[in-house]
Amino acid sequence: MQRAIIFLLFSHFAFIGSVNAQELPDWSGVWAMMGGTIFDQDTKIGDGGSTAVGVREHPPYNDAYEAKYLANLALRDAGVFPDPNSFCGIPTGFPRLMNLPDVYEFAVTPKQVWIITENGPNVMRIYTDGREHPAANDMWPTHTGDSVGYWEGDTLVFDTLSLHSSESGNTIIDRTGLVLSDAAHIVTRMHINDDGMMEAQMTINDAKALTAPWVVTKRYRKLEEGARVYDYACNENNRNPIDPNTGWTYTIGTDGKIIDINPGQ
Amino acid sequence: MKSSRLSKNMFLLVLLMANMGISPAFSHHSNAMFNQDEVLALSGTIKEFQFTNPHTWIQLMVKDESGKEVEWSLEWGSPNNLGRQGVRPSTFPAGADVTIKTYPMKDGSPGGLFIGAQFSDGKTVGRWE
Repeated sequence: MQRAIIFLLFSHFAFIGSVNAQELPDWSGVWAMMGGTIFDQDTKIGDGGSTAVGVREHPPYNDAYEAKYLANLALRDAGVFPDPNSFCGIPTGFPRLMNLPDVYEFAVTPKQVWIITENGPNVMRIYTDGREHPAANDMWPTHTGDSVGYWEGDTLVFDTLSLHSSESGNTIIDRTGLVLSDAAHIVTRMHINDDGMMEAQMTINDAKALTAPWVVTKRYRKLEEGARVYDYACNENNRNPIDPNTGWTYTIGTDGKIIDINPGQ
Repeated sequence: MKSSRLSKNMFLLVLLMANMGISPAFSHHSNAMFNQDEVLALSGTIKEFQFTNPHTWIQLMVKDESGKEVEWSLEWGSPNNLGRQGVRPSTFPAGADVTIKTYPMKDGSPGGLFIGAQFSDGKTVGRWE
């Protein structure tokens, strides 16, 4: 009899647990971003990827930030735009974290969602337990900022602020030289669309950099069942050190010596 | 790459990337050191395949015009992405004879960005067409 009661209680709680779990969408698996690392494909002009001369995007920048972007584009064209990722060890940060090569995992748990990127690696934590952002005095800029969110059916809606300014040198958005200020405030809506792709629509507000909300959507396709994610260790065998003075990327041989005789000539 | 440095083991194909349908692998760094308007084909012997992060490297021994063996460093994608595509540390065994197409370094240094390879038995790896 006692065993029967214990069994019934266990079954009851197990049932409640399974109901709660079923309320959350299944985002399991391994995902890869579609369309290359141009952050805003919708406003891109030019042929090629983010490092190709002539390629740029058109965020609704104010004059000051358009000037910053143009300066970065000039450095990009010269092959010396300083990308924090090239130095190995600096986290990618948000929103660039949604714009990476290699693969993604989206881990849904009852109180948090974790966006895990193989490249980096990076982890972005989104609290869905009902908490709010800390008070302004209790936050300081970080790479992924502070994110709180909630579920609208199968759509995760989250709000991110307290991000590093791109001007600090800690983060950029892509290699064309897109930047934001420390006033960036981003609302993201994520769901699996009718084509089975993960879709993340980011609405970016930045009172210091933008004249209007900037809406960017990134999509990710699910890899075949059984796909694996591997370690990424940027300093394991990094044979491309950056010259801190010129920004030039060298290549070193197996003997540890730089092999570029006349870099870029 | 100066043409005077080319030997029978190295031949330069000046091609537009658009015509080749080739796009370079994503790197954690700028690829400004590579001339991606040219394709250099190198014939030689594999010394080592470094299946490491953040990039894999193919070390290829190639004879120059004087017959001296020169070690070339050919950079490829991350082991993670390549591994998911079926590439393994054993893909380029030491001692194998192979012809490799690469975007050469602009300054003529013995290095480049890997495009594709063909082994002596005809097997190909990467983008060879």
